[in-house]
Amino acid sequence: MKTTGRIAGAVIILFLLFIADLPNLSEKLVPEAQAFRGRGAAFVVGAAVGSAGSSAAAASASASQQQAAAAQYQAAAAQQDAAAAQQQAAIEREKAAAAQQQAALAQQQAALAQQPAVASGRALPLGTVVSALPGGCVSTPSGGVNYYYCGGNFYQAVYQGSTLVYVTTKPK
Amino acid sequence: MRKMKFRMAVAWFALGMVALLAAVSTDALAQTPAVDPAAVQMLKRMTDFLDGLQQFSVNTHSMIEELHVSGHRVDRDLAASVTVKRPNKLLAVRTGGLMDQRFFYDGRTLTLYNSTEKVYATKEAPATIEKMIDFARETIGILLPSADLLYRNAFPLLMQDVTLGVVVGKTVVGGVKYDHLLFSRPGVDFQVWVAEGKQPWPARYIVTETGTPALLSITTVLRDWNQAPAVDDARFNFVPPKGAQAISFMPLETTGGSNR
Repeated sequence: MKTTGRIAGAVIILFLLFIADLPNLSEKLVPEAQAFRGRGAAFVVGAAVGSAGSSAAAASASASQQQAAAAQYQAAAAQQDAAAAQQQAAIEREKAAAAQQQAALAQQQAALAQQPAVASGRALPLGTVVSALPGGCVSTPSGGVNYYYCGGNFYQAVYQGSTLVYVTTKPK
Repeated sequence: MRKMKFRMAVAWFALGMVALLAAVSTDALAQTPAVDPAAVQMLKRMTDFLDGLQQFSVNTHSMIEELHVSGHRVDRDLAASVTVKRPNKLLAVRTGGLMDQRFFYDGRTLTLYNSTEKVYATKEAPATIEKMIDFARETIGILLPSADLLYRNAFPLLMQDVTLGVVVGKTVVGGVKYDHLLFSRPGVDFQVWVAEGKQPWPARYIVTETGTPALLSITTVLRDWNQAPAVDDARFNFVPPKGAQAISFMPLETTGGSNR
């Protein structure tokens, strides 16, 4: 009986030995993950731009979404405000409390789709980037540049990375 | 009693042997080079092969994983057909139901043309494909599909700061045998599938961001490699179609969200 106990003890010690080895193993297989640097960083930054370009300019992948993403990283407070505003917009539009329970992603996209319509109602600061023109824009060429006028704003088409976006501007 | 002692002896012997074995195996692992020369050699075989091509075309399909603030992951598609004529011509065509966009590089300028919206932007560009790729990425935020593999002499770039390189194993996709390789450097892992045989084309290329717990990846499948595409110079020259409107590229400094 005593022997059985010792054998059991030995097995437990062995087991612990192997467990003790495991952290070493993972350290060797997964190098310490640091912040991006060098080429990797450049690749991923570029990829983010390329990814936005992967869908149509008018689709949900938009410059404003990119900017929202930047804001997320840069200012948590601003991000919360924006999220709250997006939620509010969604609720008002759908007039349903259930909207709150929608997937956050769906809310984001709804808010984005809504943005141009919101934008058409008032003058925006110069340099505001939108992914799609508001409805009812009138093409107004001037000095070789085609401007789009709607809702009190002049827009100009521009490439942001490989994504076509529209920026509020002042015609020359 | 004697029998008992014998059993105890056997037990202690077994314990000792296994402990020794564990110690030896740990040592063996520690001694294994983190960057396996076999993996490096397979990678070099692929880059040497691509380096040796004067022209080629390939269809790429990338899935780009993005993490949204809601916590959901969204994968975006980016499909393109790329034609390269070394040293200074490149055409990347993205077509599909949603849009038709073409990227031209003729050795002097690069142009992005969106035929759906009939707009294009042109910019003076450096004189080689490699310099142009860097220039496009750094100044206007344009990334060409699988640019890492389009560079001539990609090998030192891929191997830079590599701390781990292993041959994961062999795999068969569509009847073709591939060597599956994994390399790691701080912050980034990449996997590449290299075809066996005389034409070691890369078939899949996965780059994973390891600096954050999300482990987001860009997965690119490379198909229809062609060593003899049509490469007359006219293909790479952009001539504005009638009615197309010239616009500009937003400099990267003011491009919100893309330089973090």
